Amino acid sequence: MDVAPTMSHCFAMESSKDKGKCQHLSVVVDDDESVRESLPDLLREFGFAARAFSSAREFLLSGCVDETRCLILDIAMPDMSGPELQQELKRLGREIPIIFITGQKDEVIRAQVLQRGAAAFLLKPFSDADLLAAIKTALQAI
Amino acid sequence: MTATNGSMLETSIPTAPLESILCKEALQSRPSRSPDFEKENRALVKLVSALADSPSTIFQTLADTILEITQADSAGLSLLTKDGETPHMDGQRFYWPAIAGMWQLHVGGGTPRNFGPCGDVLDRDRTLLFTHWERRYPYLSSAVPFAEEGLLVPFYVDGKAVGTIWGIMHSAHRKFDAEDDRVMASLGKFASSAYQALMRIEDLKIQVSEREKAEAEVRKLASGLESKIRRLVEADVVGIVMWNPDGVITEANESFLHMVQYDRHDLTSGRVRWTDLTPFEWRECDYWAIAQLKKTGAFLPYEKEFFRKDGSRVPILLGGALFDGSGADGVAFVLDLSKQKRAQEELRRSEAFLAEAQRLTHIGSYSWRVATDEIKWSEQLYRIYEFETGVPITLELIRTRVHPEDVTLIEKMVEQAKNRLDDFEWQYRLLMPDHSTKYLHAVAHVTRDRGGQLEYIAAVQDVTARRLAEEARDQARSELARVARAVTLGTMTASIAHELNQPLSGIVTNAGTCQRMLGAVPPNVDGALETARRTIRDANRASEVIARLRALFSRKEIATESVDLNEATREVIALSLSELRRNEIVLKADLADDLAPVTGDRIQLQEVILNLLHNATDAMSAVHDRPRELLIRTEVDQGKQVRLSLKDSGVGFAPQDADKMFAAFHTTKPEGMGIGLSISRSIIEAHQGRLWAAGNEGAGATFSFSIPCRQKGLAHSAIPIDRADPPADAA
Repeated sequence: MDVAPTMSHCFAMESSKDKGKCQHLSVVVDDDESVRESLPDLLREFGFAARAFSSAREFLLSGCVDETRCLILDIAMPDMSGPELQQELKRLGREIPIIFITGQKDEVIRAQVLQRGAAAFLLKPFSDADLLAAIKTALQAI
Repeated sequence: MTATNGSMLETSIPTAPLESILCKEALQSRPSRSPDFEKENRALVKLVSALADSPSTIFQTLADTILEITQADSAGLSLLTKDGETPHMDGQRFYWPAIAGMWQLHVGGGTPRNFGPCGDVLDRDRTLLFTHWERRYPYLSSAVPFAEEGLLVPFYVDGKAVGTIWGIMHSAHRKFDAEDDRVMASLGKFASSAYQALMRIEDLKIQVSEREKAEAEVRKLASGLESKIRRLVEADVVGIVMWNPDGVITEANESFLHMVQYDRHDLTSGRVRWTDLTPFEWRECDYWAIAQLKKTGAFLPYEKEFFRKDGSRVPILLGGALFDGSGADGVAFVLDLSKQKRAQEELRRSEAFLAEAQRLTHIGSYSWRVATDEIKWSEQLYRIYEFETGVPITLELIRTRVHPEDVTLIEKMVEQAKNRLDDFEWQYRLLMPDHSTKYLHAVAHVTRDRGGQLEYIAAVQDVTARRLAEEARDQARSELARVARAVTLGTMTASIAHELNQPLSGIVTNAGTCQRMLGAVPPNVDGALETARRTIRDANRASEVIARLRALFSRKEIATESVDLNEATREVIALSLSELRRNEIVLKADLADDLAPVTGDRIQLQEVILNLLHNATDAMSAVHDRPRELLIRTEVDQGKQVRLSLKDSGVGFAPQDADKMFAAFHTTKPEGMGIGLSISRSIIEAHQGRLWAAGNEGAGATFSFSIPCRQKGLAHSAIPIDRADPPADAA
């Protein structure tokens, strides 16, 4: 698989310049540990700076919300679910492109989150190419 | 005119001394006439004849004879008497039983013993001749004519002087002489013997008449007794028989004949023998009785049987004795024991019933006398405890069987029972020799026995089977709950998918990352290695999930059957009773009588009901200010659907959550996965029904589902879900 040079170049350059902790992040929020383990590495291979959080609250309290350029979000989570975070961010006025990832196919939820402005809805397991395409869509949508 | 009262007369005339009225020498000195033996003999003959003819007149005859022989003017007899009528040698008076001659009219009179001529004669013990005794004894002056001379001769009976024979000359024309003395003494002797003989005859007569009287009494008594015994013989209370030495029954009363159904004719013909009546196996008892008879003349009552004439048997009690003296005649009583035997049989049978009932119900019984620790067990209780029947029971022995964990319990029970003397009930376990456990339930009642002693009477039931069934039921319940919590159908598949997805997506992501790392310039080998490690780990995790799920699947059975929702509901209620009780929830069930069956999977539908019940319980767990009420209702909805609803008095739900509740993964419980309601809805929808919730007018919520009634045809009744394979699009 090839990475679109423009995008990676753009982000990579920006991330290498900046020594700050959160800068132009792609954030993963998922209560599943294996996802938190594997996705950031993939994202970094894509050329992104990446961070992972285990819950929506953790993310909200992290202080990285402003720097987050792209949010890869699990649907089913205890406490605040993915869709609930989507609504919370909307309420806070944060227009972050969200790519929902989920193990369960549920048309109703899919329709709901897309209607509320999600950039993409991926079913696990998804290939890295699918993810990249979704990120592309998400960033282009801004 | 004669002094008869025996008392000394007080006289004003001085009495002459005794010497002055006695003619001492006269008899000896006077010339005596010659004895006239012929006359004497004739007199003796007269006396003898008198004796033979009329014994009572011997005294009179004597007096007459003396008069004749002595030619006296009066003659008579004086005898000592006590009562004035009959001779008695201790008497204090003389009476005159017979007088002949001029003094005859004085017969019956007499003189005192101590002051009179006869007394003087007895005092001196010799003949005395008196003259004009009235000079000394003034009272004799009324005995006229006076005695010129009186000759008194002692009269002996049995060697003792008991009186006198006397003759009196009233004038001086003749005087007594020695011959008179001799004759009077001689006749007197004879008369005395005769008198004694008479007395003996009188005595004998008296004895005889006494004996005759006694015999008459005895005869009367005997005849009275006989009639009394006859009464017994004739009354129909006991059989009485008599037998002869040949062993033939010679006499018997009606009672006996009736008992053995022989008639009198059989008896009189001598046909009925002991041996005919006695069955062979009882002969030995008879030998023993015969030996007793020979030894003691009687045999103690013993039980045996008789043959009736028709060969049937009658149980009897037999006791008897030989008649006195001679041979082997005897009499016996025979008591019919049929009634007793029947009563005994009844008792035995009811005891056997009781024992059998105890055996069937596994209930044993015991009695415990508290004061003495005397314990008696029924056979069934021995069986329950697995002790040999009849072994003496002590508290120590019981303790050896009681489960070690319940030993303190039994000690406490014993102490309480001894002190409080009240009915009690307790449950405990036994540990048997083969290490199995028995559960026992004992109920005891305190009572006083016939002697007034305090006693516990208890029934003990072996409830092991019931307890094991309860445990199996509890296990089934938790299994059911576990199954209810486990995912089913589409949602289960979703869960499978979910469980597998985690490792699978990990694998895919890491694999992709790995490729990119290796394709970079320069290759990120370390990173690649790490992704490879994660991949392997996730792959393992995936296989674990699959293995677990396979195990879960293998327990599932597919069912499509006719389900009675009332029945299913009752079972769920039964399983949940203790939980409901624990949570202080009042349950009301209003199950329609005419509920039509539905088609489906009974276990799944029960999972739904159980899930709703659990939710209702949870909803009410925070309720403290009002009763926790749960109402389960089933009804037919418009003739086509069966509806079940659960109404609680819990915290209810917000209207906006109405649909959200049924969404997968929605939960209000911190540890819940939130799949209960979503699973339930899936199940109901798979049954072509629907599940919904509504808030109550008061507190709480009502959850309901409705399912189509079972169709007679099969067209719409099958559930089109195959559990074994997950749907294709879940992966």
